[in-house]
Amino acid sequence: MTASVSRKPGLSVGRFSVYAFLAFAVCFYGIPLLWLFIAGTRSDASLLTDAPFALGTWDSLARSWTNLTTYNNFQIGTWAINSAIYAIGGVVLSLIASIPGGYALALSEFPGRRLILVLTLIAMITPSSAVVLPIFIEMKLLGLNNTYAGLILASGFFPFGVYLAYIYFSSSLPKGVMDSARVDGCNPFQLFTKIALPLARPIIALVAFFSFLAIWSNYFLAFVLLSDDKLYNLPVGLTALISSSGALSNLPSNDVPIKKPEVILAAILVVLPVILIFLVAQRFVRSGTLSGAEKG
Amino acid sequence: MTTAVTNPDARRRAERRRKSREVRTAYLFLLPYLLLLFMFGIFPIFYAFGLSFVDTIEYVFYGIENYVFVFDDFRVPRAIFNVLTFVAIWVTLTLLAVASLSLMLDSLGRRTAGTLRTIFFLPGAVTSSAIVVLWLFLLDPTVSPFGPVFSLFHWENRQDVVTGIGFAGVFAIMALFSTSGGWIVVFGGALSSLPTEVLEAARIDGAKGFSLATRIKLPMIWRSLVLMAILTFAGGLQMFVEPQLMGMAGAQFSLTDWSLNQLAFEYAFRMGDFGASAALSTLLVGTSIIVALVMIFGTKFYKID
Repeated sequence: MTASVSRKPGLSVGRFSVYAFLAFAVCFYGIPLLWLFIAGTRSDASLLTDAPFALGTWDSLARSWTNLTTYNNFQIGTWAINSAIYAIGGVVLSLIASIPGGYALALSEFPGRRLILVLTLIAMITPSSAVVLPIFIEMKLLGLNNTYAGLILASGFFPFGVYLAYIYFSSSLPKGVMDSARVDGCNPFQLFTKIALPLARPIIALVAFFSFLAIWSNYFLAFVLLSDDKLYNLPVGLTALISSSGALSNLPSNDVPIKKPEVILAAILVVLPVILIFLVAQRFVRSGTLSGAEKG
Repeated sequence: MTTAVTNPDARRRAERRRKSREVRTAYLFLLPYLLLLFMFGIFPIFYAFGLSFVDTIEYVFYGIENYVFVFDDFRVPRAIFNVLTFVAIWVTLTLLAVASLSLMLDSLGRRTAGTLRTIFFLPGAVTSSAIVVLWLFLLDPTVSPFGPVFSLFHWENRQDVVTGIGFAGVFAIMALFSTSGGWIVVFGGALSSLPTEVLEAARIDGAKGFSLATRIKLPMIWRSLVLMAILTFAGGLQMFVEPQLMGMAGAQFSLTDWSLNQLAFEYAFRMGDFGASAALSTLLVGTSIIVALVMIFGTKFYKID
């Protein structure tokens, strides 16, 4: 902040209130995550008695980690693997659906195109939680509740991805190259695989990014569709862990080795992959969300 | 002469063939998406709509009885009130935080603004159940880094804090924490792409700092702020996770029928009444679809041609 202070001599009331508000915001957004990662290293007793940002020890971190990972026959590992399966399956499916779909919507004129676009927008604006119960009722009818396939199929439906791909292809495919390729005898599939796909790398990454976020953090749908705890993803598993141990309710202690530090580590496990992806993808997201949400 | 007659004809036929091939290819490309759209967009909504007129316990046509049941349930008006309170607080906080922070960041140097934007953006990684878990810790004065703030209000335990802020306020803070940073990034991009001539002209005319932000920049991002408010509103109506998981902190925090989606869940899973659940879901989805239609056709927010 010193750089911007030195730009303007003196500190007016206006400037001061701007800095004060920014400092407040930094605390509000920054402290919780900082606390979470530090608290993961501390013991249960330290959490209650030491200062909020006191560092823990390697020992306590290792102990909590062992408690968490070995609990209930390495259950959290199963959930982490499940989360990865749902995420990979769902992202791949959403890409298979959105990239060619958005391409067709952008490049060809055909009856029904406008209807598909309008339905896509409706589905995109409608929050996904609005259809969770109808989807559950449908899945029960099909016998797909409580299966990997059910959740992967449902999370592969990602209308925002189709819209992003549609916007991308309609604005950034070089028409001249497409036309000359067509004249040179490229059939529609070669046109897609040889010309559009190589140019589509940014949009593939962007759709994968957003659909990964949506799927990784999906609680409501997973909670409703899955009743077998062997199939839980991490967000649902996290709550199951807490409910079964009472770690958050400050009740008299019990034998379950899941206490506050273990819960904090489990929460970090849910959050960390996304944070890493955020940090890597930051630049990318800025331009991407813009084309979808702002300029759209 | 004959060639002149048959040629356009042949050409038209060739053109038609090409056209129909193009249509077929387009639909082939769209096939996976259309299957998913049907399976997880269209079909469930219509199926729930149909089911809402059926007594799902006896499986007979039930007319509008399910809707009557929903409207007669005393918990429904209470849930509507809860959700609207939450949405009002959340939308207001989001508008204030996103608009003011984006404008403030825009007046800082690029490096500083970038760092702060990252700090605001990272909580977006904390979603669904992890938000609730994190905030249950943060709202507990015995472990929370915000303890000193709570002691200002003489809140000694989590119960005091939650009662002091109110459930709607607590959920709004959780949601604000996790969702507003993404918007700040979006608006950062929008502000940096405003036409420099306009900003230069305003600066030459003597607008700076506050007046540049509120008189020139704010009107230029106003439409996008409205878009954000509507999307936030639509998302907030469907809230489920936050109240549903409060019970993790103990029975005194347990809320099983606080929001409308929770009630729809209750009907289906506690009472086994899928008809009533479908009726309430239909009403909820219907509201969202109306909001979506207004946004698509009433505003020019989205490009469809």
